[in-house]
Amino acid sequence: MTAALHIAATLRCDVLIIGAGGAALRCAAEVLEQMPGASVYALTKVSHPQKSHTSTAQGGLAAVDPRDPLDSTLFHMFDTWKGSDCTADQNVVKLICESAWEQILWLENRGMHFSRDREGRLSKRTFGGHTRNFGEASVYRAVFEADRTGKGIMDTSWGETLKNGIRFFNQCIAVELLIKDRRCGGCIAFKQKDGQFVKILAKATVIATGGSGQVFRVTTNCRQNTGDGLALALQAGLPIMDPEAVQFHPTGIVGPGILASETLRSVGGILRNRDLEPFMVNYAPKMKELAPRDLVARAIESEIREGRGIVNPDHNIPHVWIDLRHLSDDVHEKQIPEVSSFFKRYVNLDTKKDLCPVRPSNHYHMGGIPTNAFGEVQDGDQQIIGGLYAVGECAAASFHGFNRLGTNSILELITMGKLVAERLIPYIKEEYGKHQDIAGDRFAARFSTYMEATGSESVGLIRNAMRTMMTEKVSVFRTEKTMNEAIEDLAESYERAHRAPLACRDLAMNQELLNRWELDNLLMVAMAISQAALHRKESRGAHFRDDYPERKDEFNYHTLASMVSFPTVEIGRREIDMSLFAAGGEHHEKFDYIERKY
Amino acid sequence: MKTSYDLTLNIRRYDPYQNRTWVQTYQLEAGRIMRFVDLFRKINDEQDATLAWGSSCEHGQCGSCSVRINGKPMLACELLVENAVNEFGSTTFFIEPLPVASVVRDLVIDTDQAYARIDQVKPYIISPRQPAADGEAHQISPEELDRYVDATRCINCFCCSAACIASHDTFLGPNAMLAAIVRVMDPREDEKQQRLETIYSENGVYRCHSSQACSFVCPKEIDVAHFMALAKQGAITSS
Ligand SMILES: Cc1cc2nc3c(=O)[nH]c(=O)nc-3n(C[C@H](O)[C@H](O)[C@H](O)COP(=O)(O)OP(=O)(O)OC[C@H]3O[C@@H](n4cnc5c(N)ncnc54)[C@H](O)[C@@H]3O)c2cc1C
Ligand code: SF4
Ligand code: SF4
Ligand code: FES
Repeated sequence: MTAALHIAATLRCDVLIIGAGGAALRCAAEVLEQMPGASVYALTKVSHPQKSHTSTAQGGLAAVDPRDPLDSTLFHMFDTWKGSDCTADQNVVKLICESAWEQILWLENRGMHFSRDREGRLSKRTFGGHTRNFGEASVYRAVFEADRTGKGIMDTSWGETLKNGIRFFNQCIAVELLIKDRRCGGCIAFKQKDGQFVKILAKATVIATGGSGQVFRVTTNCRQNTGDGLALALQAGLPIMDPEAVQFHPTGIVGPGILASETLRSVGGILRNRDLEPFMVNYAPKMKELAPRDLVARAIESEIREGRGIVNPDHNIPHVWIDLRHLSDDVHEKQIPEVSSFFKRYVNLDTKKDLCPVRPSNHYHMGGIPTNAFGEVQDGDQQIIGGLYAVGECAAASFHGFNRLGTNSILELITMGKLVAERLIPYIKEEYGKHQDIAGDRFAARFSTYMEATGSESVGLIRNAMRTMMTEKVSVFRTEKTMNEAIEDLAESYERAHRAPLACRDLAMNQELLNRWELDNLLMVAMAISQAALHRKESRGAHFRDDYPERKDEFNYHTLASMVSFPTVEIGRREIDMSLFAAGGEHHEKFDYIERKY
Repeated sequence: MKTSYDLTLNIRRYDPYQNRTWVQTYQLEAGRIMRFVDLFRKINDEQDATLAWGSSCEHGQCGSCSVRINGKPMLACELLVENAVNEFGSTTFFIEPLPVASVVRDLVIDTDQAYARIDQVKPYIISPRQPAADGEAHQISPEELDRYVDATRCINCFCCSAACIASHDTFLGPNAMLAAIVRVMDPREDEKQQRLETIYSENGVYRCHSSQACSFVCPKEIDVAHFMALAKQGAITSS
């Protein structure tokens, strides 16, 4: 059986992209536009690129039109910096905010179906945390395609790559990065449909594997978001930056955890507790429902903890209400049709007539593989790994610091996706960027342990228990005690997983085998999250410690978590880039370590 | 109101190693607002880890989880137990993969094969019209966008193709037609001729005989047949 765990073929390309979501495809499209004829391979775990998670992004895409008299990129930079709880890197914030509008035009000109205003121009909507005049009032900054903005990006950039000759490998999973002497030569990939391992050699490799939401039980993320890219990096000896920075969306639909977009609040939805009291005013008097996510998530969690929640009888899960009943039919039908339909479909409620049950749900990983402002991956000594790039949710450059503003993620995909392409093109043209054949020496051992395991444990049950545990112990509120318990639990689960035999030892489309491999990834990422969260004895952005509720200057740095060997995690640090502050000039004081108050 | 149901799922299975097809019966108890993907996962966790099935977003946005349930193509992530029992008047369900491509294992089909038809109609702008000024977006009135915006909502779940009796061999299929029609109606596309040739080709819209099965099964509630009819009337050109 294990005889099949060899490399069936070696393939060669110019650029290998691990992932085919928004970040991956924007990057690929740029490479193909600038270098017609380049061989670009993109791998996906899903059955087709369009099925990638980006397709589910609903609300919008923040970008300041330079001709907008009411807004400015400086305000966008400020909001991002403030929203990040002063932990974003200012060089990255500047690059992304300044190139935002250009990327909107790129999408529009290539056929994205943005929603339009009466004059036929791109419509804009407000979103939590996005303001004008440094927090004065909320601002119309997010362009959108109804509530299908992510799908618009995906359809457009997938179309462009298809047009320009990309090669997709669907249901083909990267299982090992080929790295030697600070250079990356590609990866080993598992072709799930035919059960074969192949070696893909590339002059440049881009990790664009997306999020890690499956670490938690209540999550808005798709089934494939198991943090593979982060685990591959950890296994290759690379660190993860700020793993403890995990965002919980305030309004997951009770039950499946499906996201009820922030749009519900931006169009005027009101959060109410058991007594129907609109409670946000007690937590964020000025911004109320439009305050950043972490504040709203904690407000809801606090209402629930203090007994002002409601328990849903079907799921036995406590929640609060979102009230949309007062909104006009036009808002229901034109602005939030898809999200309203979720309530109808999954809890059988009518947003026009009923109060709808919501609660915080894991949503986004700010932390990720550390890169510089151009997406080049760095190791623990902050040295660049030649030919290796990371972009999108799996990467941390860091644009979001410890809290991401809504609409800033898909902006990051399209701006950084392009920047990474521009960075890697000269690299692959250079002599240095030739193929380097590095042996892949870890995957076979790993998969043979899976195939040969014996015992009475079950992969599915260990995975479920771990996800429930993480939601209970390492989510919106954290303490030293719960984190220590989590770490112990994870170490034990890792051991138990070795005693979980597979029901079937075929390689092709054996979902249990994939679940087993993903379980190791989930455990590693969960361990990095928990250890880093334990280490950070303060509260910052989405990382909230009940036992250390204030932000502290001594923690003004990024965490670098490396996994020496499971469960041992080593913690290092990276400076926060303060170049906007350091540049002096008008308004530079806004980019100091300011208080984050809304 | 019933809080849980005793269900029987008869699932068509396929083992590629033995080249064997069979129907396997699973009995399970499930809460009323469990989705069918939750049922598959429950089978994996509690009864049979080998059952293969597809999904990704699990909230009706990606079209990865389409299967036939009692003959009707549907998204397994959108069907709640309670609604299924009401719709089909039974607690026994027969579940099969979609017949739009070959089966890889159990309920998982070769999506690449199904998508080959979409690729064929070029789901992008072939020849982009230049915007009024460089560095600007096109102006498209909401009324104009409204004419075709519904067709852009398609997630390529292939439920319509599976239901369309005309689509199996030569017809490119309703969703491929939609992708082509969108760009005929989109004022930013200059290459209309090539598109019209595809739409009115041997494999194009004239294969459709207006049964409206596509509109009936579309989980996004797109009136697919309406666009087919528009195309047949030659009423899809843009301004
Ligand atoms: C429901 C929802 C709504 C959201 N709405 C918004 C919004 O309105 N605005 C906003 O800014 N952000 C939003 N976000 C966040 C945003 O959608 C994501 O952060 C973003 O789409 C991630 O894009 P990505 O390209 O990094 O990854 P993804 O789109 O997740 O793509 C990852 C790709 O990598 C592949 N992959 C993963 N692992 C492997 C592997 N081991 N081998 C090969 N391939 C692999 C996957 O198959 C996939 O193709 C939302 C998120 C959710 C969950
Ligand atoms: S209306 Fe036409 S495209 Fe739709 S199912 Fe019937 S034959 Fe197929
Ligand atoms: S038209 Fe509807 S049924 Fe057909 S593929 Fe698109 S979303 Fe699915
Ligand atoms: S899993 Fe995405 S539509 Fe069902």
